[in-house]
Parts: sequence; C-alpha cells; structure tokens
Amino acid sequence: MSFVVRQIALKASGEEIVRSADYAMAEITVGRNAACAVHLPDLAVNPVHARIALSAGGALSVTATTDQPFGLNGRSTRQAEIDPAIGGELAFGGHRIAVSLDEDGTRAVLTVRRVEAVSDSAEERDVGAAYSLKGLLPGKRISAWGFALFVLFAFLAVPLYSFATYQPLAMDKDARRPDGFHADSTWSSGPLSISHKALNEDCQACHTQAFVAVTDNACLTCHTKDAHDHISDKARLLQSRGAPEGMAAVQRAVASAFNRPAGRCVDCHTEHEGAGAMPATQQQFCADCHDGMKGRLPDTKIADAADFGTAHPQFRPALIRGMERGKPLFQRVAWRAGLQENNGLKFTHGQHMSKTNGIAQMVRRMPGQFAAKEALNCADCHQADSAGARFQPVDMEQSCQACHSLSFDQIGGTFRTLRHGEPEQVVADLRAFYRSTAPARPANLSGMARRVPGDAAQQSTAADYARAVRFYPGGADQAIAQVFSKGGMCNDCHVVTRGGTAQTAGFAIAPVAQNDRYFRKGWFDHKAHVQSDCVECHTGATTSARATDLLIPGIEGKGGCRTCHVGGDGAKLASISVKDPVDSSCAMCHSYHMDAGAPWVPKNDRNKSDGQSVAMANRPHFPVKRH
Amino acid sequence: MASVAPPEKTGRKRTGTSRQRQSMHEGFLTHRNMFWAKLSAALALALTLLYIFVPLPGTHFGASWLGYTLGTVGALLILWLTMLGMRKRAITPGRWSLKAWTSAHVYLGLLVTVVGTLHSGFEFAWNVHTLAWALMLLVVGSGIFGIYAYATLPRALSANRYDEEGAITEKQMIEALRSLDRQIHDAAQPLDVQAATLVGQSLEQDPFGGTLWNRVTGAYPDCATHTAIAELRSLRASRQRSKDDLLGRIEAQLARKEALLERLRQHLKLKSWLQAWLYIHVPVTFALIAALSAHIVSVFFYW
Repeated sequence: MSFVVRQIALKASGEEIVRSADYAMAEITVGRNAACAVHLPDLAVNPVHARIALSAGGALSVTATTDQPFGLNGRSTRQAEIDPAIGGELAFGGHRIAVSLDEDGTRAVLTVRRVEAVSDSAEERDVGAAYSLKGLLPGKRISAWGFALFVLFAFLAVPLYSFATYQPLAMDKDARRPDGFHADSTWSSGPLSISHKALNEDCQACHTQAFVAVTDNACLTCHTKDAHDHISDKARLLQSRGAPEGMAAVQRAVASAFNRPAGRCVDCHTEHEGAGAMPATQQQFCADCHDGMKGRLPDTKIADAADFGTAHPQFRPALIRGMERGKPLFQRVAWRAGLQENNGLKFTHGQHMSKTNGIAQMVRRMPGQFAAKEALNCADCHQADSAGARFQPVDMEQSCQACHSLSFDQIGGTFRTLRHGEPEQVVADLRAFYRSTAPARPANLSGMARRVPGDAAQQSTAADYARAVRFYPGGADQAIAQVFSKGGMCNDCHVVTRGGTAQTAGFAIAPVAQNDRYFRKGWFDHKAHVQSDCVECHTGATTSARATDLLIPGIEGKGGCRTCHVGGDGAKLASISVKDPVDSSCAMCHSYHMDAGAPWVPKNDRNKSDGQSVAMANRPHFPVKRH
Repeated sequence: MASVAPPEKTGRKRTGTSRQRQSMHEGFLTHRNMFWAKLSAALALALTLLYIFVPLPGTHFGASWLGYTLGTVGALLILWLTMLGMRKRAITPGRWSLKAWTSAHVYLGLLVTVVGTLHSGFEFAWNVHTLAWALMLLVVGSGIFGIYAYATLPRALSANRYDEEGAITEKQMIEALRSLDRQIHDAAQPLDVQAATLVGQSLEQDPFGGTLWNRVTGAYPDCATHTAIAELRSLRASRQRSKDDLLGRIEAQLARKEALLERLRQHLKLKSWLQAWLYIHVPVTFALIAALSAHIVSVFFYW
C-alpha cells in the first residue's frame, strides 16, 4: 500500500534528474503546498488540489478537494479512477503526472514532470522577431503582391473584359451598352461634356478600337448633319496651315510615332474636360492658318487675320448694287467712311430724326403715338426680328403711313387710301373715283330756302355745275399726274420715272430693297448690344442728309467696333483709345463650321443676358462685361 | 541613421577610432551639402513655372506635350525610386554609396509629388488615374513619416533604454523579465488560491502580446500585472497584517515587473513606429506601380 513519486527536473543541458520518494500511505495529496506528497510549485495549482487514494483493487481514486478540476488524459474532471496497470496522465496546471506501475508491478508510480515554463516570458522566443511587428501585420511581401494584383485585376483586367464584351457594338449609332456600371469607365480621365453626357458609360461609342486614336468616323456616326466642313478642299486647309516648325514639328513627330494622326475632329473638340459644355475653340486655332495665310496660299481671296484688336482686315459689308427682276444685287465692298448704298427711297435719316423741324413738331402734336415726345426715334420705324439679332424690314403701313397718308377720299368717317406698292391699282382707283363720283352739288341748287329772288343766280350755278360734272372724269389724269409728280404722295418718298406702262399712266416707281444683313461672313447680334444707344455705333443717323448714306459702322473710326472690342487677349492698336474694352476672340463673330446662323457658343454661355463669353487660351472663361 | 547634427568643425585632427567620429556622422538628409534637396527644389520650381507659363492648347492636362513629358518623367522616377529596395541590399561606398542613393531617393521622392500633381493638371475624379496619384501621395506621405521617425525616434529609443544602471539591450530586457518572473513565481508559492491566480495571470501573459493597436499606442488596458498589483493591494488591505508581509513583497516585485514592462512596451512602441510606415510604404509602392501600369495601358488603349 504505497506510492512512488518521481519528480523529474531538467538540467540546463536538457538532461533529466529524477528524484524518487516512497510514500507508504493509502492516500496522498497533490498541491502547491510543500506539505503535499506530490508537491507542484505551480501557481495554477491549489495548495491542496486533489487527493489520490489507493483502493483495494489497486486502482487509484483521484478526487479534487475544491471546485477546481484537474485534467485526466486531456479531459477536465473532478473525480477519476485510474488503473495503474493501464496507466493514465493527470494534469495540474503546468505539470503532468504520469500514473503507472513500478517494475515489480506492485506499486503505483506517479511521475511528475513540469511541461510549461514558469512564466510566458521564460519560454523560448526569437528575440529579433519578438521586437518586430511580425505577426501583428501581414508581411510586406504578401501585401505588396496582394495590393498589386488587386489593382491590376480591378483596373486592368475587368475593364479589358468590359471592352471585349461589347466590342461588336462599336460604330453603330443606335447600339448602346446596357445602363449601369462598366468597369472601363474607371479609365475615363474626366466626365464628358453636357451634350455627350449620355455616353459617359459607353466608352466604346468613341473608342471603337483598342490602341487606335478616336477617329472622325466615330463622331460622324451621330453627327451626320451638323458637322460642316470649314472648306471642302482639305489640301488647301493643310496648305494654309503650313508645315509645323520647331516644337510643333517635334510634337507632330511624337504624335505620329504614337499613332495619333492630326486633323481629326477631336483635335479641337477635346473631351473628358469636365461636365460643363465643350470648351470654345481658342483663337490660336484660327490664327494658326489665317495669320499670314496670303504667304502660304497666294491665290486666296481672304485677307490675313490674327487678332481682332490688332490684325483684322476692314469689314466688307454686302451692299445693294442694283436690282434685277425685283431682287437686289449685292456686292461686298470694303468699308470706308462716306460709302453710299441706294435702296430706292428718298428717305433721309437726318430729316426724320431732327428735333427742330416740322417732323419733330408733328411728333410733339401727337403725344403717345411715338416712342418719344420730342422727335422721332429709331424704334418708331425699326422693329427687331424675333431673335433680336437683326431688324425687320421697315413697313410702310406700320411706320410711314401715320404721316405719309395715302388717303384721297372720305366717306362718312372712313378714309379711302391708295394702295401702297401697287401703282397700277393707284391709277385704276383714281380713275374709278373720278368716273363714279361727281363734284359736290352746290347748296343753292337744292331746296327753296333762302335764295336770291329770281333765277339768274340759280341758272348760272346750274350751268357751272353742269360743266363741272361734264368734265369731272377728265380730272383723273390730272390727279394721277399730281400723285406721281413732284409734290405728290408717291414722289415724297419714291423715285418716280416716266418709263412705266399704260397701266401706270406711264409712271414707274424705282424698286426698293432693304438690306437685312450687311455682314454675311461675321455675326453681329443687336441683342447683345441692346444696352448701347443706336447712335453710339450708327453715328451718322441723326445728321445724314442723303438717302444713300450707309450708316453701318466699320471696324474703326467713330462708332466702329474697335471702339469697344479689343483682341482676344486684350490687345489693341496704339492709335485707338478704348474706355471699356471687351475682349473679343474670333469665335465671338466667326464659326469654324460656318452656316448662316450665329457662331457656336458653349452651352454654358448661351443664355447669359450679358452676351457671349470669350474663351481664351490658357485663361479661364468669363462673361464679357458690358456697360 | 538620420542624424541631423551638423558636422562639427573642430581643429583637432580626426583619429578614425575616437568616439568623436560619431558626431561627425553625416546623415542622408544632409548628404553632400543637401545636393539632392537643392536639385529637387530647383526642378520642382522650374516645372511649376513651366506649368504656369508655357502656353498650351486647352486646359492643362495630361494630354498636352508638357503633360506627357511630366507623366513619362514621373513614371520613370517612380520606378527608379522603387529600385532603392534592390540597391540597399548591395552596400557600396563612394559617390553612389547607399547614403547618396538614399538621399536622392528621399528628395526625388518628394519631387515626384510635384511632377505627378502637375501631370494631373489638378483634374481629379474617381478613376484609375486619380487612384495612381492618390497611391503615389500615400507612398510619399508614408515615406515622409518614415524620415520623421528615423530622425527623431532613435534618440527616444536610446533614452528609453538608458537608466542609472546603464543601457539595457533587447535581449537583456527579456532576461530581466524572466528573472523577475522566476522570483515572483517562487515567492508566490505560499499564496492562497485567489492571490496565486492573480499572480499566475501576470506570469502567463505574453509580454510581447497584445494587438497592433496596443503596440503602436503603448497602452495595454488589459495588463495582467497591473491588474494583479491593484487586486493584491486591495486584498492586502482587507486582510490582517502578519509579520511576514508576503503579499507586500510580491506586490513590490510585481511593481518592478510593471516598471520593466513599461519600458519594454515603450521600446516596442518606438520600434513599431520605426517599422510600421514601411508596411505601408513598400506594399503601396507595388500597388502604385500596378495602378501606374493600368493608367498607362488605359491611356493608350482608349487613345
């Protein structure tokens, strides 16, 4: 009835030292207390942790003394039976007790061994690694690979997959990739302009082929109608541009080397530059060709131009130079002071706008009828067209007839008027008037009241009246001649000649034409100038004494455009003084894809009340200040 | 490494072996009279002026000749900067010594932010191009932090290691800890279950354990030693004083351990700051090179 307790300690060399002790007792204790037979110097063990009793059959009964359990063969328990013949392993804290029989097979042997270090710090560790971040962070190598592969996958492989998936849709006007996210949009360098907004997720609408720069065909797939050529002869276009030199030549060479041909739509219509409108074309772009173009293209009829302020040819307004079959013939003439244009009328602006003559007096007599009280005003005759850019033709009935009345008869309160614009009707109406009417009947021929006694007076009157009635229709010729001749209604305004037909009694009215657009190659918008007084530009209007005076201003001189408009970068000629300069690049008046309308203006600037914006190279866009 | 002490001008003749030589050390920041710093600053200024004053068609953007030039220069610069990782494993003296190389790496690395940002034309969006730019800033930013760490922390590190008994090495720190643990373990044997458990927890806790957060902040709110001291103190207060103040002794030993742990943790914190930036700097560099490749391919792909 005894136990053998073998305590095993390790030498520094790793050699084992076994201390053996016999306990001739039926029950021994296990614990941290030094009084225990199985003494375990282990803070995880209770002072008296368990009792081991030897039962009659030779089996060991292990019982925990407190609630704290112990381990048996790897499992936690508070009560265990162990047959030493079979063996078993008890665990108390960091110690293990192997149960076995001794060599004789008679005594239970408890072999005690410390398996865990006294403390965590006592355990073996790699000093270098312990002081590093190893184990706390993923290694640099693995995260480098991880990050790099993730980026390549998400931003290269997946976009390429997107491209390949929808490649067959390219160059088809109506084909669109389905809505939603497409990975190649992560390649977009910036949002598209407003008009191309719908294409933001549809890269392949323009980028149709891999590694091929955007082609004109991609643009023309949709822009079938609005992409006019600047000039149809591309060779002339290139010739006027001249061969690139210096830096430009280097750029050209590099671009060619990288498969980026010049002269494509996208050279000017750059995209991915923000969600606003496409930026306006820069002045430099026009000047590249038009500056000194005569030198490169000697047969051109177009004068050189580079900057409005300093290098722009004189305007060439289209003037009426005669009439052919009722239609005016126009000729573009370089503007100069005193230029004349015959529109067929005798109207003079000076006379009509005078503040002192009879016309002004007439205006004063009819308050409320005219725009101003003192004299006629421009707006009394000139009405802007619906767009406000130009003016409607002056209409005789609307604008002249208030004074230049064509009435010739009054019936009741109604005035009968001659027909304007139809001389043959005038002649016919006058003849009809004289044929169907008679002179007013003298009062003393009717009734009996208050008459001179006797018939003499009455007979005389009756004879006079009868003669008047007899010759009355013949008065038509006189009236017609009077209307068409000097002092007559027609002759007041129109040039009348004697080359007419019988229908017009031999009179002819010189044809009249009103010029509705003088500047055909540039764009002028009256609406943008609405805050200026008309005579600021049309300076001759109040004094012009000749009907043929051209009142359109030129580029320079009094009222000329350069009075306010300076070049795109603010440049102006030294000889001109400008009080409130307005920077004016080419695009303010001219359009590359020319048509009869206004030049193209970025959408952002279209609805600005104060006019166009001017885009300048390397400077922000800003609205032009007006005064 | 990054000592910023200016070279001392002493009349004495230098004897290669004296300690004086240590103070003559010239760090990579001041190498060659800050040649690379001056070069980079001059280049940055020149490129900025070029960006402002060179007339370019359209907006300033990657797609102008200046843009492509800046982009090419930037990409090559980034690749060269990455080469430091290879270069530093081969130490050679001379003009292209590792120190010279590091100096150039630092200052050209700062320059690359200017090059990259001018290349962007300040057009940023949610795309691979801005991603590459952002990663570049992250790499350079972590690098700047690394320089700050190398310039300041080694001093704090040595200050922490020194006390009245002299310096203590990392190995010695562990040894001292082990010794204290053994002493505590032995002294704590007579303790009752409750107190023994407290002490045991202190011994069982891994002094190098804790999360990354614990490591970089140096704050260990779950420190078992600290808890044990507090608990033992309250136990001791509630118990009758005996002649043999075992709890008092153990508490004192635990307090010594806590002081040592404090120093160890400060050391670990400083070392983690010295190392942590590289865990961003290096992997993000490779992410940057990947993003850069995607950026370049995408530009030519959708030309």
